Amino acid sequence: MTFSGRFVALVALGVVPIVLLGNTVPAAFGLLIVWLLLVTVLGGIDLALAASPRALTVERMLPERVRLGESVTSGLYLSNSGRRRLVGVVRDAWQPSAGASTNRTPIEIPPGERRLVSLVLTPFRRGERRALQVTVRSRGPLGLWSRQVTLNAPGRIRVLPPFHARKHLPSRITRLKELDGRTSVMVRGPGTEFDSLREYVRGDDVRSIDWRATARRNDVMVRTWRPERDRRVVIVLDTGRTSAARVSDGPRLDSAFEAALLLAALASVAGDRVDFLAFDRRVRGRVQGASGAALLSQMVDSMALIDSELIEMDWAAVPGQVRSVTSQHALIVLLTSIDAAGASTGLLSVLPQLTKRHTVVVASVLDPVTVLAAGERGGRDEIYRAAAAERALLDVARVSAAIRQLGADVVTDSPAQLPPALADRYIALKAAGRL
Amino acid sequence: MSAPSIIGETDVATPTLRAQLHRSSFWTFAGAGIILVAIVAVLVSGGANVAGRALAGDNPAPAGSMALVEVLRQQGVTVTLADSLAAVRSLAETDSTVLLYDENSYLVDSQLTQLTRLAARTIVVAPDFLTLQSLAPTVGFGGVSGAKSLVADCALPAANRAEELIPGGDTLSLPADSLLIGCFPTGDNTFSVVANGRATLVADLRVFNNENVAGYGNAALALGLLGQSDSLIWYLPTLADLPRTGPPSLAALTPGWVTPVLVLLGLTAVAAAFWRGRRFGPLVAENLPVTVKASETMEGRARLYARGNARLRALDALRIGAVQRLASTVGLGRLAQLEEIMLTVAGITGRTSAEVRNVLVEAVPTTDAQLLALSDALQALERAASRAVAAGATASVSQQSLSDPAERMEP
Repeated sequence: MTFSGRFVALVALGVVPIVLLGNTVPAAFGLLIVWLLLVTVLGGIDLALAASPRALTVERMLPERVRLGESVTSGLYLSNSGRRRLVGVVRDAWQPSAGASTNRTPIEIPPGERRLVSLVLTPFRRGERRALQVTVRSRGPLGLWSRQVTLNAPGRIRVLPPFHARKHLPSRITRLKELDGRTSVMVRGPGTEFDSLREYVRGDDVRSIDWRATARRNDVMVRTWRPERDRRVVIVLDTGRTSAARVSDGPRLDSAFEAALLLAALASVAGDRVDFLAFDRRVRGRVQGASGAALLSQMVDSMALIDSELIEMDWAAVPGQVRSVTSQHALIVLLTSIDAAGASTGLLSVLPQLTKRHTVVVASVLDPVTVLAAGERGGRDEIYRAAAAERALLDVARVSAAIRQLGADVVTDSPAQLPPALADRYIALKAAGRL
Repeated sequence: MSAPSIIGETDVATPTLRAQLHRSSFWTFAGAGIILVAIVAVLVSGGANVAGRALAGDNPAPAGSMALVEVLRQQGVTVTLADSLAAVRSLAETDSTVLLYDENSYLVDSQLTQLTRLAARTIVVAPDFLTLQSLAPTVGFGGVSGAKSLVADCALPAANRAEELIPGGDTLSLPADSLLIGCFPTGDNTFSVVANGRATLVADLRVFNNENVAGYGNAALALGLLGQSDSLIWYLPTLADLPRTGPPSLAALTPGWVTPVLVLLGLTAVAAAFWRGRRFGPLVAENLPVTVKASETMEGRARLYARGNARLRALDALRIGAVQRLASTVGLGRLAQLEEIMLTVAGITGRTSAEVRNVLVEAVPTTDAQLLALSDALQALERAASRAVAAGATASVSQQSLSDPAERMEP
């Protein structure tokens, strides 16, 4: 049960008769009691005449997924199985980060009919957003008192990571195509595969002339090459405690998602097999054996539910996990964070095992605040801040050097630049035939 | 997006009124029981403990005088309790007796004079200074009686019948040549009871209270003094006797509807609070991720440096960064030796080797100002080096382009 503003105004209106007619104290008190009885009786009658929200049946119509930042319409069908016309307000109780536009919808449902309450949701957080209940307030004919009932009507919607790095994909695919046989001049290396023979045209590298074929065909022939295909790329995502730290606008984890998605999209276009693994002390998400469009959709689907766990990453288990994915030579991309030397000992201790069999790239988000702070030397506090920033950068440089010494590659950049940087490194490795 | 999912089957989360009552019935009964027990406990224990007003005619406590009043009533005396002079005035007859006990000295001179005029006899219990001044100016205070026993020893009939009084009470003193009758002397002209025509002064209030009235001759004296006529007015002055001064009070000026309107407005406020405060269904919980700023560790380290005045350590960090950047600026690798870098930088920027060494290695800052200056010098060196390298690159390019035509002109 609840009051309306109209009822409060009606109670306050009792001042008029009390002031006009209540000359003596007992008369005024008598009027007060009479007025209070009157408004209570009116309210009670109003409540008794209001339609019961218990007679409502709720049905939801929801899309299953939405990309973060996009809007979606949630439909809520309310059927009135009672005998009275229901007039009131509906609140669909979504979690705050589901970004419901207006959460109070006025409705009017005649008996035996059904009405649609639609709500535009613009989720602002990744993951699964839920609605548990629907609350209905049913007003009486006088609009004084209302019945309020909460109905259980669970609903859920999966909010996928946004993949803003998509915008870098076309340019990277173009660069990938340039590696292909069409421009064979540019690519000659041990890792590229023999593609075909064609006639020599001016401008071709004379070193790619195949003399044996030339002798057979009485025409100068050149070999063309194409980048190696069907290699394995294993993306390992660190979801341990360091991934929870916020860099710029979002947690490190989200930047790592972006980088992983761009790399996976690019590698699947390039014809490589991509496997994805999110891990801290146990597997949080795994995508294996998918390719093309299915790969990306499975990846965003599993990423949607992954959150940083506030536990230490178990690096010792990573080689085993990689072995369970593939036993062949592969490109292992470790999306983690490179901080102080002390925090990276786990990573450094297992790198030799990985680099012995595989090509390893360690990618980490670098905080742009640190880089900026190193250059600011305004006053005493800023100098100390710059010194601390330099020290942090030095730590990163030291760990990076250690990683390189162990035979792995390092990519660090700001959250916005990490995905394209990682993609570029992948293209470079591919061109060099190191996959 | 995939096909919309439809969820049917609605059940109601809000319990019905009946279910709510059923659920809360235990607490309703428990609350009612506790209140009941509390009321009974107050009723049982309450009355006995309260001292009540001293000498009040309706007070059964030891300090009260209900016993005396009841005995007088049984003897046919009409006892009326009065709490203001106006009440006494309306009750008083020509042959009335008035008992006055003004514990808080509410009455002023004129009121006391009026009172003695109203009644045939006035018994004043434990008179204060003002009362004495007004009724018997010659009588003074005699202090506490030191006598073991008080014997009447006077012409007052009631006192004579009482024979003996409770010892150890207050006394009144009379001048040696006084015409007033003093009874129950202690010695040195101090008496426990003084009769002054229409007024009789009893110094000791214990004579009249429930606790002591039955002892010695207290009851005889009290009944003798108070039972002289058929009507007795038992007058204990209250605040109502204070003379009213100044303008009329706020309560007298406010119209009758003010209090009810205030009550109504209060109830309106309660209704408005319920209107605005009633929650539209339960809250929806959401687990928010813990996201800490990654730069917090850096900020913390900076504050540690600043608090510890770790100037040299801070400067070393800046120097290492600067040396690494200088090495890449002048085209030396990451693994170049420091000496080599310093020599190259000195060569490029045209500074002396000692100057560069001082900035990059040797100078030790002892004050914050020196630290600032050294940091600025580091930045200046870096800028100079990059400028020199850029200028060198353009110079070599322009030299080439300039020298080419010259060579061509040579042959």
